[in-house]
Amino acid sequence: MHIPDAFIPIPQGIVYWIIALVFVALALRWAKNEMSEEKIPIVAVLAAGIFALQSFNLPVSMGTSGHLVGGALAAIVLGSPFAAVFILALVLIVQGVLFGDGGITTMGANIINMGVIGGFVGFYSFKGLMGITRSMPVSAFLAAWLACLIPALAAAGEMFIAGTFPLEAGLVAMGIYHAIIGIVEGMVTVGVIYLIMNVRPDLVDMGVKRPAGA
Amino acid sequence: MIEEIFQIEKHAYKDSYIHRLDARVKIVLAFAVIIAIVSVPYSIMVYTVGAIFFGFFLFLWALTQLSPRVYLQRLIEIVPLWGIVIFFQIFLKNKYYTDYHAVLTFPFGIAVYSESVEFALILLVKFIVSISFIILLSSTTKVQDMLEGGTRMGLPPDFALILGMMLRYLFVFGYIYRKVTDALVTRCFDAFDRKLPYRYRLRQMGYILGTLFIRAYEQGERVYISMLCRGYGRHSFLYVKKKSLGRGDLAFLSLSMAIVIAVPVVVWLAPVRLI
Repeated sequence: MHIPDAFIPIPQGIVYWIIALVFVALALRWAKNEMSEEKIPIVAVLAAGIFALQSFNLPVSMGTSGHLVGGALAAIVLGSPFAAVFILALVLIVQGVLFGDGGITTMGANIINMGVIGGFVGFYSFKGLMGITRSMPVSAFLAAWLACLIPALAAAGEMFIAGTFPLEAGLVAMGIYHAIIGIVEGMVTVGVIYLIMNVRPDLVDMGVKRPAGA
Repeated sequence: MIEEIFQIEKHAYKDSYIHRLDARVKIVLAFAVIIAIVSVPYSIMVYTVGAIFFGFFLFLWALTQLSPRVYLQRLIEIVPLWGIVIFFQIFLKNKYYTDYHAVLTFPFGIAVYSESVEFALILLVKFIVSISFIILLSSTTKVQDMLEGGTRMGLPPDFALILGMMLRYLFVFGYIYRKVTDALVTRCFDAFDRKLPYRYRLRQMGYILGTLFIRAYEQGERVYISMLCRGYGRHSFLYVKKKSLGRGDLAFLSLSMAIVIAVPVVVWLAPVRLI
């Protein structure tokens, strides 16, 4: 899902960068207001932890593997989509500049896809589904699945606008692959939230209150 | 990915002319080359510009005194996934060409077009050049130097502090990652072992990742309390000593930027084309 340099022309890359910077600034403001400025170090260290979390390969099917993106997880546990924007922006900067995973000119698009879209979709679909189903596992699973699938479709759309991949083929390829990966993302996210709720319920209470179905 | 950070940092601690350059010079150079190569329109002009930039990269890599194997290993780790996406371009049509000529045809209407092959090569050249300069930057610049360089170049203090902390703790979590994977091996747990029920494997991985998440949060809390003990507060920021670029740095930067700007312009204006 990390779009590398070359796949998006510079003018479009600038537009995505501007949008991403607006959300990063909003996320920074959220961190200062909601978490209190002094607690920002916790999120910084948590971002390093999420980076490590993404390094674990998870079995998908037929010998293929995937890894957790963690956007929905961060948003649900910390109780705000801006948490995901903040953490994923940090992670993507390090991945792009240090490891060459993703790109410099495409970093704005990647922050929008994984941080903004992933975080907002993950958080609000979790909240909405919790209201309907009252079940944490079902809500978290579907929220994480959607937070994996929709950013991938957005990436396919961006590459179509860039003219580097046809829309239909992109949507089908990215959609199918991430719909499968998303199942693993969903199941593991449920496992992680379940564990946190049992071991450190106070962490989850920071944002989303303990769901009745948990 | 996180386990690579130790190796990357080990390379960055070596000594060479490129290693000794100010981090700002290397950041500006890498970003300038990437912006320049990405800015070149999707045309065969990219071949010439890309070849010159790649030659420039090879020259700089030779100055680093790092083995070509280091570069190739890092390239191989990055290229595969997007290499496949680039490969599939040869079967696809895009908006940059109007006429397509099939050079190979397969059943079910699948065909390889000469224009699509050309486009795939253009993408590959842009991709390889961009990745190469990122590898050069990260293999010759310590993480801390990169952060200080970024701060001196105007990275907002709030963001620099957070990014600095994240970078510092990446190494801690690199060790934790190793410990966890070693613990899994010791217990003969393999997430890819098909003899184990799939649900069981995923549940275990969920718990492992959850434990890591909690460890990360608790580490953050410990750091936060330690920082408070040392006087951290609302107005704290990362102190970075002011430093001017030396003459050598300025000369290198000027020459490099002249190359980065001149190459696409000259190739655009003059018939200096490889093809």
